[in-house]
Amino acid sequence: MKYKVKYRDLTIIITGILLGFLVVLQARSFGDVQDRIARDSQANVFQEIQILKTTNENLGDEITDLEGQLAKASDQEQALNAIQDEIKNDKIIAGEVDVQGPGVELTVKNSLTGIWFTDIVNEMWSAGAEAVSVNNIRLTNATVGFDTLPNGQISLNGVILTAPYHFDAIGDKKTLSEALTQTGGIVQRIKDSVQNADITLDQKDLIQIDKVL
Amino acid sequence: MEKEGYSWKVQLTFVVTGVLVGLLVTAQFRSAIPASSYPYDEYKIQQDLIKSYTDDQAVLKNKILNLRKQIDDKQKQSGASIQKNNLDALEQLKQEIGLASTNGSGANITLNDSPFAQRADNLGNDQFLVQAADLRDVVNLMFSAQAQAVAINDQRVIASTPISSVGNTILVNNTHVLPPFTISVIGDQGLLLQRLNDPTSLPDLEKRVKNQKIEFSFQPLANLVVPVFNGDFLLKYVQAANNTPS
Repeated sequence: MKYKVKYRDLTIIITGILLGFLVVLQARSFGDVQDRIARDSQANVFQEIQILKTTNENLGDEITDLEGQLAKASDQEQALNAIQDEIKNDKIIAGEVDVQGPGVELTVKNSLTGIWFTDIVNEMWSAGAEAVSVNNIRLTNATVGFDTLPNGQISLNGVILTAPYHFDAIGDKKTLSEALTQTGGIVQRIKDSVQNADITLDQKDLIQIDKVL
Repeated sequence: MEKEGYSWKVQLTFVVTGVLVGLLVTAQFRSAIPASSYPYDEYKIQQDLIKSYTDDQAVLKNKILNLRKQIDDKQKQSGASIQKNNLDALEQLKQEIGLASTNGSGANITLNDSPFAQRADNLGNDQFLVQAADLRDVVNLMFSAQAQAVAINDQRVIASTPISSVGNTILVNNTHVLPPFTISVIGDQGLLLQRLNDPTSLPDLEKRVKNQKIEFSFQPLANLVVPVFNGDFLLKYVQAANNTPS
């Protein structure tokens, strides 16, 4: 009788161990796959591929444009026009002229800390914005850099920014709007983090941004 | 009678256990097939595609640099047909927008993942990894300290440079950059170092340096070179405003 009880216990223990072993093995099997995929989760990998694809397409367009410029630069008659066109374009990029185009306006009525300014602007550039301003201060290499003052106020190009904050971006308004309002995007993150967040995003056919003063 | 009841219960236990084990064994073998042939294959295809795009990107960026150099040379050779003031204006603009390399004094800042982290095996939100937001904050701090030129791992950072992450991959100008991250900054050393030495300038990073052992250091340098921007400046939507004189 005693022998049978031991045998049953032993059987159950062995079965239990086997069961546990298989459960762990199974879980690890799925875990390995998930870890591997989660590192660059499906959505992220596709997002990365899309970013690289679009970037390469833009670089290809830039090459076509530069090849045209090179051909003109090689032609004595067209060289002057080409350089003047280049100056015109570079002035737009440098913020030396007023600019306009379609885009989006993001308005936040709440007070924001410094990190939100860099993150909002970064998302706009990521989504292909070609010109960005905050409270109508154009962001260029000379003006970019949000400074948090000791009292918590945010300064940009020597100007203290006050709410409501208007972030204007010129670019493909649909792409910009979708990028900013996507799940986990900047609009949602602000709503999740800022109490009673009052934030609006408008697509506009025409946005005007003043040159840097 | 009691012995028969006991035997029946034991048999039932073994049957149920056996079925359960059988199910798990089956599941195990069944999962092994897709685990090796579907998710991993798909993952490999994705990684190959990313590598292919990244390789193409390097070629395209080199081509852009070469073309810009050729245009520059042609413009300088054109001499009389292009007035000198046009060339001077263009040079000045190129300096402003990052289309010319910049030399000068400044600082090198190094950020690296915590020794406890393995970037390749962790999720994107791992607190032991340098995040794109860390780089953004440092770059923003440097620009607010009037930096003239900034680069991360030789990727020129201009106003429109996105610094983002996709999973664990950090992209600067949509180009992969890997740790350790070296941020080269040209500007007024006094101003730059004052900001970098101020413990309140980068509060989030300070905490992670202390708690998660993210590596953060900086050193002043007398002679730095920040390379030329090698991305695109396509203007598809923006144009000079109607009120701008042509």
